[in-house]
Amino acid sequence: MIKVRIPTPLRPMTGGKNEVEIDGNSVGEIIENLGSAHPGIKERICDEQGEVRRFINIYVNEEDIRFLTGKETPLKDGDEMSIIPAIAGGR
Amino acid sequence: MLHIPADIIQDMIAHARELAPHECCGILSGKQETVVESYRITNILANMSQQELSRFEGAKLSDLQRLSPEERADIAFQMDAREMAMAQRDIRTKNADLIGFYHSHTASPARPSQTDVTIAMEFEHYRTKLNLPEPLHLIISLENAESPDVRAYRIQDSQATEVSIQQSSV
Repeated sequence: MIKVRIPTPLRPMTGGKNEVEIDGNSVGEIIENLGSAHPGIKERICDEQGEVRRFINIYVNEEDIRFLTGKETPLKDGDEMSIIPAIAGGR
Repeated sequence: MLHIPADIIQDMIAHARELAPHECCGILSGKQETVVESYRITNILANMSQQELSRFEGAKLSDLQRLSPEERADIAFQMDAREMAMAQRDIRTKNADLIGFYHSHTASPARPSQTDVTIAMEFEHYRTKLNLPEPLHLIISLENAESPDVRAYRIQDSQATEVSIQQSSV
């Protein structure tokens, strides 16, 4: 099982939980399985082409998946995956 | 006290002017309290079409749960996540630290808005889990077009505290 950290904007879809445990052997599988367990969440993380949205970073442990092998990045028991919105702000 | 080379301050101001009326945003890196490099990051809200923007609002911003409707309407920049990650990697490769984030306020003072504070606190929450250093938040105000104002803040416990800036010559 992989521990997945859920950012505040997506917590309504995980019943308010900030961490969930999901089965999967790669980042892509986790996103799919997360989407099955929590309907609607996948569409928030990925665009219509299935790519991670431009305002979201996904980390495995402390590394951005863009510098690993993206959604193919393999995961093993004990790994942690974090979904993090890029910094934003107001006027 | 934060030390910033004059050319980097000038570049942040130029960046703010180039993107006005949209806000600009970027990242500063360096060592301890001295900035040595800046990275311009695309504000993905600035180059979205109205149609994309409405889809984007629906897809993401309207669900930032901690934000009030007024705060949501106030959102004016969102960094491109890929560019942000690339900059962070470059900083790490150079054995430097991420010192801060900057953005512009085109028509308001160089002070964090309530939305800035709320989102900075949200970032704090992730940052501590990812072992990233605490960033300062810099704001370039173009409110007075003739004399832009650049200020830096620490944002902790939902409070912004100004950190003075010392401009160093190149």
